[in-house]
Amino acid sequence: MRKLLSLVLVTLMVLSLVPALAQENITIAVVPKSLDNAIFLDAKTAAEAVGKELGITVQWEGSTTSDAAQQVNVIESLIERQVDGILISCNDADALKDVIDRAVDAGIQVGVFDSDSPNSKRAFYAGTDNYAIGKLSAEYMMEYLPEGGKVAILTGVLGAPNLEMRITGFKETLAAANSPIEVLPVQTGQDDVQKSVEVVNQYTAANPDLAGWFFDGGWPYFADPDAMPELKAFMEKGGRIVSIDTFYPMGQFFPLGMVDVLIGQDYFAMGRIGVETLYKLIKGEEVDLGVSDDTVKNYIDTGYEVVTLENYEEVWKTKSPW
Amino acid sequence: MTEKKAAVGGAKNWLLRIRQASTFNIFLILLGMCVILALLAGGKFLSVSNITSVVRQFSFYAIMSIGMVLVILTGGIDLSVGSVFAFSGIITCMGIMRWGVPVFPAVLLGILAGAAFGLLNGLCITKLQLPPFIATLGTMSIARGVSYGITGGYPIGGLPDSFKFIGLGSILDVPTPIIWMVVLALLFSVFLRRTIRGRWVYAIGGNEEAARISGVKVNQTKIIVYVLCGMMAAIAGIATAARLGVGQSTAGVGYEMDAIAGVIIGGASVSGGYGNIIGPILGAAIMGVLRNGLVLLNVSAYWQQAVIGVVIIVAVSFDKLQHDRRSSLRKTR
Repeated sequence: MRKLLSLVLVTLMVLSLVPALAQENITIAVVPKSLDNAIFLDAKTAAEAVGKELGITVQWEGSTTSDAAQQVNVIESLIERQVDGILISCNDADALKDVIDRAVDAGIQVGVFDSDSPNSKRAFYAGTDNYAIGKLSAEYMMEYLPEGGKVAILTGVLGAPNLEMRITGFKETLAAANSPIEVLPVQTGQDDVQKSVEVVNQYTAANPDLAGWFFDGGWPYFADPDAMPELKAFMEKGGRIVSIDTFYPMGQFFPLGMVDVLIGQDYFAMGRIGVETLYKLIKGEEVDLGVSDDTVKNYIDTGYEVVTLENYEEVWKTKSPW
Repeated sequence: MTEKKAAVGGAKNWLLRIRQASTFNIFLILLGMCVILALLAGGKFLSVSNITSVVRQFSFYAIMSIGMVLVILTGGIDLSVGSVFAFSGIITCMGIMRWGVPVFPAVLLGILAGAAFGLLNGLCITKLQLPPFIATLGTMSIARGVSYGITGGYPIGGLPDSFKFIGLGSILDVPTPIIWMVVLALLFSVFLRRTIRGRWVYAIGGNEEAARISGVKVNQTKIIVYVLCGMMAAIAGIATAARLGVGQSTAGVGYEMDAIAGVIIGGASVSGGYGNIIGPILGAAIMGVLRNGLVLLNVSAYWQQAVIGVVIIVAVSFDKLQHDRRSSLRKTR
């Protein structure tokens, strides 16, 4: 019985080698750092909307966690599936370089959004000018703390190219202005909301003379305000906080007095511009691939927005809840 | 039935064992999955490049599962393999990039680091009499913490091509990770079936007290299997770092579950004493083919995790049914 079963299975498999019908539709796969991170959902919405407009298939793929090795596996499967285009936010610049190059060599158009792999063969990088927002954050911090003081930095996954650029921009701007601000060692929440809240609470409690926080990503503000009593106390004592990102759940912290300024990214633009640009490349049309200088090639700036207590209500009217 | 078995000659006995082996069931499950995928995705699944890609992807997990089955055969478990995976990769990368160690010795250093954690596990379990679950839970934390500590959490990149060959290269068109998997599988197959120590591994899992009384060096053997498991995790971790060109202290999180799942799907008994080397490789293959298939078939990425869980339960139940049927048949004779 079992021998017969195996024989049938093998015959079916051989028969299946008859080629399937060719697919006419253009397919672009969008691959965020991970599927468990809500910040990419704006990009997803925009990418799928553009897909509908252009009449192409946009697929949202990724690894369940921010694991570079698993993200590489996903890209390999996409290469096998012979998609026409891939738009990816890289967990690690080095780890993804090889598989991006292989995709390009296989004839797939590859663009990067949000987090770049600059030495790879990707056609363009659409994202925030991370150095610039780091610089702007430092400028705000210097305005808030003219006498100086100790400032802590919270980051996500260490070594992530976009986050590193923000920290560099922040630190270099302070150094160039000879600011009396003292930057403390970088703390990490590993891109995880719970861990970020814990780190912020504990570090603030452990450093009573802390004057300011720079969050290079908005993770603490995705949690409930009641989860961060230390932060509330910190602000009431006169502490200042500058944070990147302007996602919907973060707005409530303004009236609660738990944040000074938010510098937001435009994930809608990243998704939209990313898919549109890939589409033009696939069709062989003329396309603007952004600017190049000695630090980065083909960079498309998707811009940023600055929000404080004064304008936050107005800005938030344009956003939708998660 | 017993007379029939006794009467059958040497070669036929071998065939009979294959048909009765639950490993064949697992192979059937794998074959069935491949057929379904081939029918649904056609040339995209069965292309040489896709099959090569899938085998290369699961070979890392398979190597970890080979180490894990040795531990599970003794009735133990090793939860630290994911952390040792990362730690060994970090040691090798630090060796090459920070300590000026040449590639080959750095790789050996990484494997040694994995063996060291295996030794720690083995000693905790035999000398301190800690349950394997608890002991390896502890070392899982230690290895992860030390990885973070010595790197400050930052990845170590810029590794030379000579190192990356271990994970990215190919010999005679076969990707290197696949070669490592096959070589290790052969080595450990021989170890389990042809050496005395291998037989002792089974004996300990079957009945530890009986084994001890009949002269099996139980503690020594247990330490050896945990050391080997740590070394396998190290090899998988170093090969992955080579493939990515970067050593990450955050690598391998949760991989212990994949290693254990590969062993269980592969037909080994959780309580020990039953299993082989082919099983875990088939188990890793089933999970690899499943993951690949779901992406090829455009199954929504969010549902893939759920589908994988369902298939794992189905695969293990199928095998359990066959297993129970066989043992109940044997009882009625």
